[in-house]
Amino acid sequence: MSLPAAVPGTHAAAPSGDRPTGRRRFPGPAPATLLFWALAVWTLLPLAVLAVVAWSGGWRFPTLLGASPGTPPWSQLAGGWGPLAGALGMSLALAVGTGVLAGAGGLPLGRALAGLGGRWRAVGAGAAFLPVAAPPLALGVGLQFTFLRLGLGGSTLGVLLAHLVPALGYTTLYFLGVFAVFDEEIEEEARRLGARPHQVLVRVTLPLLRRPLAEAAILGFLVSWAQVPLTLLVGQARVRTLTVEVLAWTQAGQDPLAAAGALCLALPPLALMAAAALAVRRGEVVIP
Amino acid sequence: MTPVLTVRDLDVPFGDAPGLVGVSLEVGEGGRLALVGPSGSGKTSLLRALAGSGAVAGGTVRVAGADVTHLPPERRGTVLLSQRPLLFPHLTVFENVAFPLRVRGVRGGEVRRRVEEALASVRMAEMAGRASASLSGGQAHRVALARAVVGRPRLLLLDEPLSSLDPSLREEVRRAILAVQAAYGPAMILVTHDLEEAGRSAHRVAVLLEGSLAQVDTPEGVFRRPASPAVARFLGLPNELPGESGPDGLTLAGWPLGVGPGPCTRGGPRTAPQAGEPPHGPVVVLFGTDGMRIAPEGAAGLPGRVRELMHHPRGVTARVEVLPASGGTGETGAAPPLTCEVSVPPDRHPVPGEPVTLQADPARLHVFAE
Repeated sequence: MSLPAAVPGTHAAAPSGDRPTGRRRFPGPAPATLLFWALAVWTLLPLAVLAVVAWSGGWRFPTLLGASPGTPPWSQLAGGWGPLAGALGMSLALAVGTGVLAGAGGLPLGRALAGLGGRWRAVGAGAAFLPVAAPPLALGVGLQFTFLRLGLGGSTLGVLLAHLVPALGYTTLYFLGVFAVFDEEIEEEARRLGARPHQVLVRVTLPLLRRPLAEAAILGFLVSWAQVPLTLLVGQARVRTLTVEVLAWTQAGQDPLAAAGALCLALPPLALMAAAALAVRRGEVVIP
Repeated sequence: MTPVLTVRDLDVPFGDAPGLVGVSLEVGEGGRLALVGPSGSGKTSLLRALAGSGAVAGGTVRVAGADVTHLPPERRGTVLLSQRPLLFPHLTVFENVAFPLRVRGVRGGEVRRRVEEALASVRMAEMAGRASASLSGGQAHRVALARAVVGRPRLLLLDEPLSSLDPSLREEVRRAILAVQAAYGPAMILVTHDLEEAGRSAHRVAVLLEGSLAQVDTPEGVFRRPASPAVARFLGLPNELPGESGPDGLTLAGWPLGVGPGPCTRGGPRTAPQAGEPPHGPVVVLFGTDGMRIAPEGAAGLPGRVRELMHHPRGVTARVEVLPASGGTGETGAAPPLTCEVSVPPDRHPVPGEPVTLQADPARLHVFAE
């Protein structure tokens, strides 16, 4: 039996006969196809298990789809301001705030770095990379000492600022890449046509960078959304984000709640991946 | 009348290098000046300095009498049209052209009226709703041109606007440039390395060589009376021979040319050479292929021998070795043989090696003191 190659990016081979297939055909199971499905199972299986546990409230052998011993955790979320909803709200607020601030801050920082000469640019890029490369625990301990002295320990603002440290590193490096290829002559053209600097920013630069800004904000959002060590160390268990709660529920053996929380954690990245795939399909994003 | 642009002793640095030194020029109302020069001569740097986008180390730039030397680009009343159209990709054609009006606070029906008028002047009115990214090269240039003039600048600076276009589009955009200048009347400086384009588009031509303006004159003045050997070389005159100018006329390679000094130009640091006496003494003579021609058989002139024939779309030229006046072939002496490229009359069909006689056209010889 021949299987069509289903791996994205596989080029269609020229058909050998009259029948245009548009797909490359293998004499047997193609290694690439097998690898693709293995990867899909490897990635999706944990999520599927989470869904079953979260929905049914437990999973006991030999039941295939789990039992329903009590109230499913989803109903807690839907039913009111339970622990899951509260943590979800805190995580969302922190991630949105981090995303917006990291996007807005990374743009000027990345631009300033891109405008520097060789050695200073390398030093700046290294400084931006440090919080990204440093182990989160080491970064968290260092920030905890600092933030405690500033009176920010255990506060939402402290956690937001802590999340901003690695997020700004990411977005600064991202914008460094953007401005390495950004044609500044178009801004100069706007000035030659009569625009003052603030008009150039509002009417030309920001609209042109709308997409990179959105992507940087998403990057900042995801950095904050998945953050555990910084939240725990700076938030001192008083700032209860979804990641912190999921960790606590897991340690306490509250599997259904932990599973529901973990699924919530996985939803934004999955939604963003779907949006990205859709954008590629629509031709809004060109993959070189 | 006050000139639209007055530049006095302008120094434009090229990074850390001195760059252009002491540039002075004027462009009047509705005037068109072509700025020509070899690659790297600083044409674009000068234009950017005039537009406020480039550094200035000294001197003054006045637009309509006002000193704008240190003003930012948006306060100069000039617009620089770059080699690339540089349309804003996030805006439609209409909004691109409306941009200079909107940033100046023009609103409502006035914007629509002026944008439509500007687009019509470049025959792009029907494209107003299109995305700027969807335009062809020629269309994008025409929209950029409409955008440049919609704000009615006093001075329009064009930096090689045609160089990136193929020949058919080049003519289309060139016509559009002349049409909008006629409609809107800005003074214009056009940077180009194409002498033909300069001659066709401009009232005056400024030649930028070795960091300064070597000549500013009418196209005819520059092309027919180059002010220096450097300008003559830049014009692409393929022949440069040593000679002697005396009371009896001009000798070239030891041979009397049989032409008096009358119509020959002479060198010197002048912006408008005049016909007159060439200098007496050693000279260098530059000329194009039309400066000498192969004479009918038996005519007097410079003896030579055809080295090779070259065929061009407009005719045939021959590379001719000028025989030394002292005799011999010119190949055995210490000095290399003197050769020049001359036009071949349609009725002559010389072959390589054939002895010929060259006759000079004195009006087309450019004689400079050595």
